[in-house]
Amino acid sequence: MSDAKIPPSDTPENARTRSWVVLSFWSVVLLLGVPLWWCTTSIYRAPLPLNEMQSWANGRACRAEFPLLVDVEAPLLPDPEHLLKTVQHALDDANDFSAHHLRLRLSRSQSETSGKDGRSVLHSTQLTSPSDGHSDEDESVAAILRLTPGESGSTHSYQLNNSSRVIDLYYSPSYNPSSTASSTSLSIFISNTLQEIFAEEQQMISHLLSSATSAPSPSPSAPGTTNSSNGSNKVNVAEVQRKMSRIMRYSPTYHLTFSLFTASGTPTSWEIERSIDDYLQPLLDALSGISNFTVDSQVQFYASMSPNVVPSWVPDNLEQSENLQQNGQPGKWVLKRDDLSSFINSAEWPLASITSYPTINFIVYVPLEEQTPLYISESATNAFLLPQWGGVMVLNPSKPTTHLSKDDLKPALDIFAAQLMSLLGAPSHPPSLPIRLDSLTRQRSAELLTSASSTLGSLYRLTKALPSISIPTSVSTSVGSTLSSLNNACRELKRGRFSGPGGALEEGRNAASQAEKAFFEKSMVGQVYFPEEHKVAVYLPLMGPVGVPLLMSAVKEIMKLIKDWKIRRAGAVAA
Amino acid sequence: MRLLHLLSAVLLFPSALTSFVAAADTPESVQLDNDYDESLLLKTLPGNSVLASFRFVSNGTFNDHHHTVFPRSLAQILEHSNARELHLKFSLGRWDAEQWGAQIWDGHTGGGTGVELWAWVEADDDAAADKRWTTLTNALSGLFCASLNFIDSTRTIRPVLSFQPEGHHANPDRLHLLHGGLPREPVCTENLTPFLKLLPCKGRAGISSLLDGHRLFDAQWQTMSIDVKPVCNSDGSQCRLQVVQTVDMVLDVERSLQRRDSPVPKPRPLDQLNCDPTRSYGSGDNCFPQSNLADLPWSLSEIFGRPLHGSCPLGTTDVCVVAPADRQVFASQASAEIKTGDKRCYTLPQKSDFDLLLPRQSPPLPIEVTPPPLYASRSFTGHGQERGGVQAVIRNPSPTETVKMIYLESLPWFMKPYLHTLKTTIPNSLVDLYYRPNLDRQRGAHLEAALEIPPNSTLTLTYDFDKSVLRYTEYPPDANRGFDIAPAVITTDKGYQIRTTSLLLNLPTPDFSMPYNTIILSSTVMALAFGSVFNLLVRRLVGAEEVPLRGQKLRGLVAKIKRLGEGKRKAE
Repeated sequence: MSDAKIPPSDTPENARTRSWVVLSFWSVVLLLGVPLWWCTTSIYRAPLPLNEMQSWANGRACRAEFPLLVDVEAPLLPDPEHLLKTVQHALDDANDFSAHHLRLRLSRSQSETSGKDGRSVLHSTQLTSPSDGHSDEDESVAAILRLTPGESGSTHSYQLNNSSRVIDLYYSPSYNPSSTASSTSLSIFISNTLQEIFAEEQQMISHLLSSATSAPSPSPSAPGTTNSSNGSNKVNVAEVQRKMSRIMRYSPTYHLTFSLFTASGTPTSWEIERSIDDYLQPLLDALSGISNFTVDSQVQFYASMSPNVVPSWVPDNLEQSENLQQNGQPGKWVLKRDDLSSFINSAEWPLASITSYPTINFIVYVPLEEQTPLYISESATNAFLLPQWGGVMVLNPSKPTTHLSKDDLKPALDIFAAQLMSLLGAPSHPPSLPIRLDSLTRQRSAELLTSASSTLGSLYRLTKALPSISIPTSVSTSVGSTLSSLNNACRELKRGRFSGPGGALEEGRNAASQAEKAFFEKSMVGQVYFPEEHKVAVYLPLMGPVGVPLLMSAVKEIMKLIKDWKIRRAGAVAA
Repeated sequence: MRLLHLLSAVLLFPSALTSFVAAADTPESVQLDNDYDESLLLKTLPGNSVLASFRFVSNGTFNDHHHTVFPRSLAQILEHSNARELHLKFSLGRWDAEQWGAQIWDGHTGGGTGVELWAWVEADDDAAADKRWTTLTNALSGLFCASLNFIDSTRTIRPVLSFQPEGHHANPDRLHLLHGGLPREPVCTENLTPFLKLLPCKGRAGISSLLDGHRLFDAQWQTMSIDVKPVCNSDGSQCRLQVVQTVDMVLDVERSLQRRDSPVPKPRPLDQLNCDPTRSYGSGDNCFPQSNLADLPWSLSEIFGRPLHGSCPLGTTDVCVVAPADRQVFASQASAEIKTGDKRCYTLPQKSDFDLLLPRQSPPLPIEVTPPPLYASRSFTGHGQERGGVQAVIRNPSPTETVKMIYLESLPWFMKPYLHTLKTTIPNSLVDLYYRPNLDRQRGAHLEAALEIPPNSTLTLTYDFDKSVLRYTEYPPDANRGFDIAPAVITTDKGYQIRTTSLLLNLPTPDFSMPYNTIILSSTVMALAFGSVFNLLVRRLVGAEEVPLRGQKLRGLVAKIKRLGEGKRKAE
């Protein structure tokens, strides 16, 4: 076309001005726009002590220890110190789980008033809160071992009282402290006795501590445990696991609901209030150092079992055919083991409570008159326990009655008391209630410690996994107080102060509740999901049209700079 | 034929043979002696309808955690929320006062459409009462599977004149009355199931065995109510916590029977239609249906779909029928009849099923209905999306008596009434007025007016209101359906309660894609402005003829492709 009019050549000032313009635009974007955008859209995340949290979760922060102090009273024994030393040696050698160890001490009462027999000690420690008798002492005594000579000709033996933590150990009268053999046999017997008494607790605690931490910890029950032969160790682990799976999560308060479910309209009343007062309240009072309990009861009529639970008729005389049941043939209805898992008709039975703490249900079920007597197969007590939920007992009234008296309910409440103990996790082994309650305290402390630690671990993983959730300050303060409570609890455990104010249990309780509070912070749950597509949809209409010219001009300027630089270099080379 | 068949099937015999007259009429007095009582009242209504009123009374004790017939779940809720008296109503449908007359129980069991809840909560001050009220609504919401937890401060009012405590309270000064409603709540079987679970016999025995969700929620009008109050006997020596559960419903007999005959509705064959031959335009293919040719036959098992399974062994059970004295009533064999005027009561057999049969009656017997003290209706007036008006028409049918009443209206916060526009058509009828204006997003307006209506006259109460524009997120998913406005409650000085129907308010509804449109539009404008300014600053401006021919290369390329295409076509 036209033979190209050449535009006037660009002045260097103009070119420089254009470069300045592009540069200033970019600097506004980078220095003002980006920080502004960052500030307005970033999420507040309070600083968390992540390392500390992780070390608690891994179990590295605290090596929990459970030193048990055993007071020894040996008023008639010559040279008890020597014996104690040998027993302590034997105990330390046999113990492979170092966190839980027994420590012997010669009773203070003996060293002060040697003539006094142990009666006064027995009185002060009778079935009360574990630390009541020892408020003056810093460390609580796990058990009192009283050594007395047995009847002539007898061997070593021991006896436990149901309601005190005194272990009466009768040593053979032929015991001679100067003979090495005789003293060894007694010291081995004492150490075996003590280990047997605390074996179950030790297993539970070691299981708790080992299952909580993913890192391998000392094997909970290695061969050599004196009370169990090597072959039964595997069984023990399974047994411990079974026991652990029953236990309700620890809570400072539990709600107990006693329900009478009748399949028909009778019986219409039961003496539950008086029965609870007489048979269960003493136990609840004894447990009050660990958890509190609120109690209520209800009667539900026309409560049928789940439709898929059908008891079968088993005549007493097996030769008789089954269809004779209508003819008054003696026999019984039997619930199979498989039926028990679906026995609770949760769709129909009103068992829920509105309490904020967990509910433990105890149900007395009275079957239809046509289905009486109803038995649970292979059950001597006609009752069963539902892990982490409660207990059920099938009650067959001897005659059709409209009222269940206190005597009718006694077996049921005895069973419920035992079920309550195992639901709370108390060891079944030593018959002495105070020792079992002490064990429960230690076990619950360990549980709280591990649960608080694992909650911290979960929170740690959550904050790592979801970078888009906000962490308010309240979470960080809760985590802080959890950590301090955990440290306190760990210290108290080492010192052997388990219960009471400021004890390991209370500190653990604080830690667990604070950790839960941090983890279940409401505002953290709210905006977990804000999809990326949304952001693109909002940003693109502005960023596209603005960004493209900015980018293009920047590219152009850079190209020009490179070109200029090349020319200048070529010029320099040519020159 | 069907009647004969039924007769042989259920083994009925005329109960008139065993009838005797008893003086006792079950009064609405305090029933304290028994732990549990239940009664069923059946009443024939004009237009082949039957009113069925189930009433269950359970007595519990105070401050005791051991429950027998009093439901434990309810007792726990009352204890946690410190509620001393509680009234909870679930209702559906409309009570047709023109046809059916006065409501049963003086309208005390009927609630407004949806859910209505009011309670007297014991607390030190208003803030504490509000907190406990929240606890109460949340707990009840869980218990009854209803959205009661949505009764927040904007739906809660504190009525001053309309409600009075019915129970005997130890310290009435500390009680706070709170009232809330959810007119939109669909009442259905999921509310009936927990209701039945509260009963000691749980629908397995006694009159509760008749209650079936399919029939109850198919009724023309139905209400379930739960009233908990402390009651004392006359000298105040014995006090108990009483829960009265009632289910009232009006069943259409024809509809119930049709459901039995053909569960899938289909048109009736022509020869079975009842046509009115006197109508000239109804001849041939056209049919003008004739109604009320006869009182249709019905039995308990037919209208409820199941028989009554014996009596509940935990208390007394009454079944009564109110029907014209000339109408025959047959009952199952093992029951005795007690006759008082037009009311016939029956004792129930312990274990066996019980049924009642009312045979066909042609021509229909006239049924006398007691007129209600007032008729009331309420509607919206006005047009447009900015403002509207409410008009309540209340008629006093009595020829002699002046009726004093209290009109209670609880409005949502987005409906802003103008009190100066409140007018009544009868001069000097407005005796007293209590009004609490609304606060945006905090509380709704609460209006209580004490009115007097002279005999045989109609009062129209009107007021105007403004409609608010809600925030984007405050609209429900189906915003164009409108917002339900709770029924007005009318309480007469004699204690009779009427509720109007709920209303549907249309608010201006935005286009919900608006925020994105706004973002995109404003972004485009900003980008345009930025682009032109930026280009002006950065581009170099030259004359048109001075533009170097940059497109030369491209043009050559296009020409080449064109030539290629032509070459191909030639080859073909």
